[in-house]
Amino acid sequence: MPPQRHADAQEGDTPAKALDFVLLRRLWFYIRPHQRWLWAGLVCLLLMSGSRLMMPWLVKIALDDHLALANLEGYYPLVLLFLGVALVDATLRRLQQVLVETGGQSALRDLRVALFRHLQRLSASFFDRTSTGRLVGRVTTDIEALQELFASGVVTIAGDLLFLVATIVILFSLAPGLAAASMVVVPILICVTLLIRTRVRGAYVTMRSKLSEMNGFLHERISGMAVVQMFNRQEATLESYGEINQGVRGAQLHTVWWETLLSTSVELLSSMTIAVILWYGGTAVAQGWEAQGIPTGSDYLTLGVLFAFIDYMQKFFQPLNELSLKYTVMQNAMTAGRRVFDLLDVEEHLPEPESPTAPAQTYGELVFEGVHFAYDPGQPVLDGVSFRVAPGERVALVGATGAGKTTVLKLLTRLYDPQQGRILLDGIDLREFASRDLRRRIGLVPQDVFLFEGTILDNITLGHPEVDEERAIQVATRLHLDELVQRFPGGWHEPVLERGRNLSAGEKQLISFARVVAAAPPVLVLDEATSDVDSHTEHLLQEAVHDAMEGRTSLAIAHRLSTIRDVDRILLFHKGKLVEQGTHDELMRLDSRYRRLVDLQFSS
Amino acid sequence: MHELRRIVPYYRRYRWRYVLGGLALIGAVLLRISVPYLLGSTVDRLRAAASDNAAAESLGLTGTDVSQLALMGGLGILMVALFGAVVRTISRLQVLGTSRRAVYDLRQSLMQHLLTLSPSFYARQATGGLMSRAVNDVQFVQSLMGPVFLYLAETGALYVVALSFMLNISPSLTAVAILPFPFFLWRARHLAAVIQRDSRAAQEGLAQISQKVEESLSGAMVIRSLALEDFDLGRFQTYADAYRDCNLQVAKARARLGSGMSLLGSISVLIMLAVGGPMVVNGKITLGNFISMTLYLQMLAAPTGVLGFVMSSLQRGAAALGRVGELFDEEATLFDPAPEIGKQHAEGPSAGAIRVSKLSMTLENRDGQKRQVLDEISFEIQPGELVGVVGPTGSGKSMLLKALARQMEVDPGQVAIDNTDVLDYPLAALRGSIGYVPQEGFLFSAPLAENIALGQPDASEEQIGDALRASQLEQDMDQLPQGTATVVGERGLNLSGGQRQRAALARVLLMQPQILLLDDPFSAVDAHTTDVILSGLRPYFAGRTSLLVAHRVATVQHADRILVLDGGRLVEQGTHTELLTKNGLYASLDRRQREQAERAHDVDNPEQEVD
Repeated sequence: MPPQRHADAQEGDTPAKALDFVLLRRLWFYIRPHQRWLWAGLVCLLLMSGSRLMMPWLVKIALDDHLALANLEGYYPLVLLFLGVALVDATLRRLQQVLVETGGQSALRDLRVALFRHLQRLSASFFDRTSTGRLVGRVTTDIEALQELFASGVVTIAGDLLFLVATIVILFSLAPGLAAASMVVVPILICVTLLIRTRVRGAYVTMRSKLSEMNGFLHERISGMAVVQMFNRQEATLESYGEINQGVRGAQLHTVWWETLLSTSVELLSSMTIAVILWYGGTAVAQGWEAQGIPTGSDYLTLGVLFAFIDYMQKFFQPLNELSLKYTVMQNAMTAGRRVFDLLDVEEHLPEPESPTAPAQTYGELVFEGVHFAYDPGQPVLDGVSFRVAPGERVALVGATGAGKTTVLKLLTRLYDPQQGRILLDGIDLREFASRDLRRRIGLVPQDVFLFEGTILDNITLGHPEVDEERAIQVATRLHLDELVQRFPGGWHEPVLERGRNLSAGEKQLISFARVVAAAPPVLVLDEATSDVDSHTEHLLQEAVHDAMEGRTSLAIAHRLSTIRDVDRILLFHKGKLVEQGTHDELMRLDSRYRRLVDLQFSS
Repeated sequence: MHELRRIVPYYRRYRWRYVLGGLALIGAVLLRISVPYLLGSTVDRLRAAASDNAAAESLGLTGTDVSQLALMGGLGILMVALFGAVVRTISRLQVLGTSRRAVYDLRQSLMQHLLTLSPSFYARQATGGLMSRAVNDVQFVQSLMGPVFLYLAETGALYVVALSFMLNISPSLTAVAILPFPFFLWRARHLAAVIQRDSRAAQEGLAQISQKVEESLSGAMVIRSLALEDFDLGRFQTYADAYRDCNLQVAKARARLGSGMSLLGSISVLIMLAVGGPMVVNGKITLGNFISMTLYLQMLAAPTGVLGFVMSSLQRGAAALGRVGELFDEEATLFDPAPEIGKQHAEGPSAGAIRVSKLSMTLENRDGQKRQVLDEISFEIQPGELVGVVGPTGSGKSMLLKALARQMEVDPGQVAIDNTDVLDYPLAALRGSIGYVPQEGFLFSAPLAENIALGQPDASEEQIGDALRASQLEQDMDQLPQGTATVVGERGLNLSGGQRQRAALARVLLMQPQILLLDDPFSAVDAHTTDVILSGLRPYFAGRTSLLVAHRVATVQHADRILVLDGGRLVEQGTHTELLTKNGLYASLDRRQREQAERAHDVDNPEQEVD
């Protein structure tokens, strides 16, 4: 198990600390299996720092020991050494980036999958409260922000710091005075970049929101252009668009301003450092020349040192410059990471029994005993519902929206547990079954058909490895699906397009029936769809309903008169209570609520 | 690249800003290059001053203190840097800022142009495609004229200036030193293309992940009930793996580009050491020259990596500009008559007599296939008449109404209102007297009141209230948290299909138009509410010419006259009773609908509206 944070974790959008060790420790749980990549990357980075520090040093030697002295003895081996170092440097640079990214991407892939798995386990009541868009954001954009940690090299920030320290050490050992003078601008650089980057970031946030406002406006006007024109709103539309467009332009000019300021100040400070080195160092070098004549000894500053300083300072500025950028990345990543882990901390799932019951045979007797249920406390949806369905009996649930029919189905498939009372299958409380086992015993035909990518046949056998293709085709043929698939070139193996775009509503429902009938659960729960289908498909669907319910305990939320006439008993729900039951004919004979319901519907 | 000239008009009004920006840019480059130059020459002066008096004399340095020389060099660089910063700021603000201003103008004129294009154009084009042109392509154009232009101009100037400084020092050394550049440029160009291609793939991968999560979440309860969790997780893993692999591809290409470009820097130094070093020793160039030249080469090597991206942005920008241009080339197909004719009919129709003669219409779908939707339809409607239109799906009912509402192009002589060809009315005048309610009630993301008062922004609250009452939307007001001030539409409260239809109806009723064209505005409203709305509309029908399209025969049975369409032809007309006795298409439609109502009736939901 990953380490859990037992805090009253709130959904946080306030910027997090750039360094949150608790968070990092939890992130480490996912990195650990891939840590060798990161360590290898870090080793490469350290070696690369060495090669980067070495190159200016070699140039210094070339200048001081050879070029300034007009001495080419032993010069070419030095040049060759430089070539070697340069090649090693390039190779290491490439390697370290690839290694770090491989480790990071693999870790985040695991985190993503873990998050998805976690979402699968969360209880239905959690999803009732949480918007889908927000959860999608956790799995995509938030993990994306964590990914930036690896892509931008934040994880190897320790390597950068080491490089900076090493540079400082070298500079001070070369020439302490000159080093101190060159470092004067460093604090200014850090402050300026930090300060301006915050502004750049802010300007970008504003610009993005203005842009998305503009795109939203544009999208709406393009979709509703006929309305705009019909009501002669062209001029007004252009005017409103102009205002938004101006806002975008203003925000864009802001980003231009701050970015220009940033790049200009960095360049200015870098040139200033060269000026300082030349003035301070140049004086010292020339004094050395004056004192000793050229060639010069090492007591004085040499030209090579001067040049190496310029080189080192430029290499020093680059990671320094990026530090503020990395700080921002880190801040974003921590904010996003906190959201991801807060979601992982949500512990809302229905309890599983410690030692689940698994009787070999299911007879299919269903009993509701004084079941109470409320989604929101104080607003009961089911209020003391009791009934029994005998094995093999077919029952329809009817009632107005909000009467509690759907909730009965949700309790039966154990998406929720009743708050009072219990539900028994063959005399055993549903809570004593392992939930997967229960769902094999109680099959559901949902109102919204859910199709996966894959072939039509895949969608029928889906999730039931015990159903082989032959049986699936046999069942589907009985439901007349063969008529429908023959219009596809692939027949049974025709791929289902994303969300079943290539199938009609009726065809999707038939597939959904075939899926359940093929798996042959002892108990069937059916939530009839209301969508309009043509009369032929309607006929096929009626047959499919009949076929599916035949010979097994069935509970249906019925929308078809044919289904209602077909069942053995009708249960009428009203405001969370079971108020009437009987066959269609019995109930129609009485002065029943049921009869009023039917009458009202057929009077218009 | 000839597409590039399309952009010229937008930049013409800002040309002086561009000239200023360009001059500043050249100045900035010159000043930047001066830093290594000053450094090198100061080193040489210092050496001369410090060593040999004859050389110092020739440079006019006699008696100058070396520390003073160094200070002068340092101050010189400082001045150059300060001045350079100012000039650089000016060049960036001018070029980048101007590109934003010009693109603002481009967006405005694009919007202005889009507003003139007819509904038939929008029917042909997918909204996504139009958005992509109006948003992404315009963005590409912006970066083309801003950063891309700036970068190319700056780098170009840098190359010219640095090369001339370098040639001045030693042509042969310059030639050798510049040798690796073409290869690395080619490499950068290639890797940039690879990175962009793979990044797009990664973007799509992320979109797939997001789609998958959305799908699994929306189907969460079903997946759970069917015990499909493992199966679904497997699907997700496939996407997550593919996405990781895509990202790694991008990372690898980036790593290659990054290391390649740093290698170019080192190789430049290497060449200076290997070739330039001996030249210093042989006295062909000075030590100061060596230092300046090394720094020039570093300056040239630095932008090479980005140059690859810039070059492909240039291509994409030009292509984007071409696509935006195509949009501008689309011509308005619905337009006002010549002014002298328009002037005569500036008031629009007043009585509302409609005459349709031999109206035919052929539509082209997005695949370019043509289909005749209306076939020589002719009829007349007297002012004040209420006419129903029925027919099977695809019989042309909607298209007929669109033609009457001037949403579709018609030929001269096909449609006349008050004995004037509709083409002779100014569009605004005609539309002002026609109230057209389309099948899909479209609402903008704005307060409901604003949506309803669209045709009459100065409408009083009372008028809006009346319209809400007549369209039976008032009964739903308690579902809106802020009443008519509630923001509806995509970025507001999502109203049901039936509510949107009734809002669209209210919008038209508020306008009090002379002619009412209702295109099945009750398709998402249940039969009971439809009846209530229809009886509420009776006062509105009185004294107005009205056409009411319906898929339910029952909706139009009380009309003064009913037109029956089939396959684009007008096949029957008459009153409800007349048509029933004819026992034709109308009678069979009526029969079939009654049967269906009995068979598939919903006993579940009698107390609620179907929407």
